[in-house]
Amino acid sequence: MEEIGKNESIRVLLDPDGVVVAEGDIDLAGGPLLDTAILRVENAHPVVIDLAAVEFIDSSGLRSLLAASRRAEARGTSVVLRHPSVGVLRLLSITGTTEQFTVEPEPAA
Amino acid sequence: MTASTADAGPVTLVLPPVASMVRVGRLTASSIASLADMSVDDIDDIKIAVSEMITVLIQSGNRTAITLRFETTADAFSVEASAPSGTANLGRNDLALATAVLEAVADEHHIASTDDRILLRIVKHLAPQATSAASA
Repeated sequence: MEEIGKNESIRVLLDPDGVVVAEGDIDLAGGPLLDTAILRVENAHPVVIDLAAVEFIDSSGLRSLLAASRRAEARGTSVVLRHPSVGVLRLLSITGTTEQFTVEPEPAA
Repeated sequence: MTASTADAGPVTLVLPPVASMVRVGRLTASSIASLADMSVDDIDDIKIAVSEMITVLIQSGNRTAITLRFETTADAFSVEASAPSGTANLGRNDLALATAVLEAVADEHHIASTDDRILLRIVKHLAPQATSAASA
């Protein structure tokens, strides 16, 4: 996997299939790195973001995902959130934004 | 909550207004909240709330220090965050999203802005300690 960038909050990778993989925290520091990675795969249909290793997200991180969703919608496609953690699902629910995305849950063990 | 935690008094943390400090504030809040014997879910709520508060102040403050004050009492854990106001205005949608999150994760939340200062405060009520009552 190609590392797009990392800082104290987050590590963002791009896998060979063009899936953006986020690890760590998506907050004010992590959001911009995630934006960079998403923009790299902006032509993908759909844009897939793997959130299985995201430990924390707040509304500033959510804004990165929502912006990607709006851009994808304008291109006639969508953003898939793959294996979002409980914390990610909770924030989507709290903010009423779940329906802005295609959520691909973690497979049952 | 242990008696010593409440008796220790408030904890004050001053952070520079940079993005990397959001995580520092969040983890500090988590540590202090854990001393109040809060549940894992409640501590997660505090982490989200503090992250939102610091982010709002970084984005709308005047680029000077952010002050956080954590206080544990017998029945509540509160966090107050403030910074001098700046000329930069947080977008209405951004503030609405942050406010929606604070409303969901805190039992009480308050945002106030004066001519020279922005202040946010959240309160999380603590569950009564059955073991303390039983041993009293």
